[in-house]
Amino acid sequence: MKPHTIDLPLPASAPAPRKPWRLPLGLLLPLLAVAALEFGVRSGLVPANLMPAPSEIATTLAWLAQNGLPGHLASSCLRVAAGFAIGASLALVLGAAVALNHRTERLLDPSFQALRAIPSLAWVPLLLLWFGIDETPKLILIAIGAFFPVYMGVVSGIRGVDRKLLEVGQLYRLSPLALARRVLLPAALPAVLTGLRNGLSLAWMFMVAAELIAASQGLGYLLSDGRESSRADIMLAAIVLLALLGKFSDTAMGALEARLLSWRDSYANRSAR
Amino acid sequence: MTALLELAVDDKRYGTRTILRGFHLRLEVGEVVSLIGASGCGKSSLLSIAAGLDGQYRGSVRLRGGAIRGTHAEIGLIFQEPRLFPWLTVEQNVVFGADGAPDDGRIAALLEEVGLAGYGKSLPKQLSGGQAQRVAIARGLYTQPRVLLLDEPFSAVDAFTRMRLQDLLARVAEQHRLSVLLVTHDIDEALYLSDRIVLMDGVPGPARAEFEVDHARPRERAVLATSKLKPAILDSLHAVHAI
Amino acid sequence: MQRRSLLQLAASGLALSALPLSSRAANLEELRLDYAYYSPTSLVLRHFGWLEEAFKAEGTRVKWVLSAGSNRALEYLNANSIDIGSSAGLAALLAKANGTPIRTPYIYSRPEWTALVVPKNSPIRTLADLKGKKVAATKGTDPYLFLLRSLQSVGLRRNDIEHVALQHADGRAALEQGRVDAWAGLDPHMAAAELEGGARLLYRNVSFNTYGFLNVREDFLVKYPQQTARVIAAYEKARLWTRANPSEAAKILASEAKVSLPVALLQVKLRSDFSNPQPSNEHLKALQLAAPILREEALVKPGTDLNAAIAGLIDTRFAQQLIARA
Repeated sequence: MKPHTIDLPLPASAPAPRKPWRLPLGLLLPLLAVAALEFGVRSGLVPANLMPAPSEIATTLAWLAQNGLPGHLASSCLRVAAGFAIGASLALVLGAAVALNHRTERLLDPSFQALRAIPSLAWVPLLLLWFGIDETPKLILIAIGAFFPVYMGVVSGIRGVDRKLLEVGQLYRLSPLALARRVLLPAALPAVLTGLRNGLSLAWMFMVAAELIAASQGLGYLLSDGRESSRADIMLAAIVLLALLGKFSDTAMGALEARLLSWRDSYANRSAR
Repeated sequence: MTALLELAVDDKRYGTRTILRGFHLRLEVGEVVSLIGASGCGKSSLLSIAAGLDGQYRGSVRLRGGAIRGTHAEIGLIFQEPRLFPWLTVEQNVVFGADGAPDDGRIAALLEEVGLAGYGKSLPKQLSGGQAQRVAIARGLYTQPRVLLLDEPFSAVDAFTRMRLQDLLARVAEQHRLSVLLVTHDIDEALYLSDRIVLMDGVPGPARAEFEVDHARPRERAVLATSKLKPAILDSLHAVHAI
Repeated sequence: MQRRSLLQLAASGLALSALPLSSRAANLEELRLDYAYYSPTSLVLRHFGWLEEAFKAEGTRVKWVLSAGSNRALEYLNANSIDIGSSAGLAALLAKANGTPIRTPYIYSRPEWTALVVPKNSPIRTLADLKGKKVAATKGTDPYLFLLRSLQSVGLRRNDIEHVALQHADGRAALEQGRVDAWAGLDPHMAAAELEGGARLLYRNVSFNTYGFLNVREDFLVKYPQQTARVIAAYEKARLWTRANPSEAAKILASEAKVSLPVALLQVKLRSDFSNPQPSNEHLKALQLAAPILREEALVKPGTDLNAAIAGLIDTRFAQQLIARA
């Protein structure tokens, strides 16, 4: 008897067709808010010393661009990048060690959970005391911020791997190392990437906190600068830049996540069939 | 004559509950045997032991007379769920168990055989339940085992898909000269596929009954529907309180 | 004709009766003002409770908020968290020029409260040596502006040094821990650094200090002129008492700011002048001399009219009736 071939349509294995251009609906709310604010300040409804008009913030941004902004941007971005790299890599290693080995888990995890309970900003005075006001305490603070979300992502991701998949690995006699590499880590990847994404946004937050302590350059410094000189426009310019940079880095992470996890059969990917 | 596979489980417990005691089973070369029994009678445990995934028992598994412990390259297992790795393509899933470079020719041939020609680059999320189970079968066959163990492999799909998959299994077993041990709840399935049907009791002990299925191959479902074996099996199942 | 004069009579009658009515209507529920270690008379005033006494009849609560520096006082004023706040003159001008709605009807002291401080064995000997060094200063305060004006006097700009933004007390700590090379200090912390830490004053210049301004929110001044006058009168009482009892005033400062008595005495007796509280041309001129630094170091938005800001800030008339000749 000839083997039947199933007459189902072949799933799309070629790259999906380009999505048609859609109106960027996400810009609607911000644009409305900016317009409302501009009107509010110009007409005197909103006091200008508390909330400068968006046009004024734009002018200040233009002025800053000629007066040291690149330096501030570079400072802040480098701090975030370095702190995040340190915190995330430590978390990847320690998280994997804790999740894969019972003894390491019993040894290390309780301490990490206790440390995680310390409210992040409570570290600031301590780090100031021990490490002073240079880059070191700032990078450590940012690294602490990035560490815990990544650690939790790795640990829960590995622990949550379906036992059924592991059994397949066992059936094919995979060594513990091969099992970790070929089954555990790919299966844990969604949780790890979520952890990395959260860690990155926390790194931005902690960078601002670190720069508010004692900095001579950076977006947090600008924010504090604006505060001390009663320049609300500088404060808001710094906040706008922080929002843009944070959004940009998060979008980049999100794109990476989507690419690495395109195999997921989840609600998010439902249109991809 | 030494059987291809010989299972002897003297004692298997879960906690304080004894699941299997003094159970023996032989599987000859090219034979298809079905295991039928009540839920909880130890059928799945038996398969785990045979596959080498479960070492907590007293007894032995012998392949061609030689005792083996742990998993063995010549004994394959198909689970109840497809258990494909979602991040690997169909092709990558098929070759998962093997070392060395993938043999593209053999992959293509297997995929064609299970009815999935051209699906090599698809991801598991793009497959239906039946298609995924076919990939699982292809994966099981890729390592060229001599014995194939199947644990209720078609229980999760609809009746029509089930029948097609049964056809596939019959074909594949013959083509690759496999010895098959199949756990199932479906009497018709057992009759359609097996040379021998072993009935397990809910009470730990040796097999309660064995039925030889003499019908000629290729089997026809219409004929089997009127077989006298079915009422006999039903009676026995009734006797062991499986139904 | 008769109807018109009747109406006029009625109108003026209403106007007359409206006068006490309007001052009664402006009943203040809570008076919010600051106290600071750089304003010894505020500490005296708070210590004796004279404000609470003065406002008891009206049932006005008095709320005291500690200002850690001019920058904080001006921030609270801008955000309407306090009605009356103490700051240095130039700092107040900076805030006013940038939009903070304040006026200054009273000068609470003429201090020499800031100087540039270096650690005991520092190799830094002159202002020019500061180039490229780390200097701690609290942005938006007199010490910071003092630093900028001092640098300018030897041709340096703020980018020629590495400015580390720390609040006054933290700046002292950083200096003593060797984390910064110099510090724009403020009393009492500065006095403490000298007497207890052996720090040295690298550069002093009394004319670069810009007085202690008592700032009032414009809307508060307009709405509650009587209450403001009462506060100034209370401040006068504290000022006269401080002039008569400087050592006792120093004791109060010492206990509030947690500094030793010698430090407090240094600040109160030797470095503060409480003789001239009436804002006048003297103060206007001092700010006019100092104002250019705000523009040159881009602390105000380009195109700000600083002279208008100065005129709008200093109120030379409000307190004239209230200040005793002493």
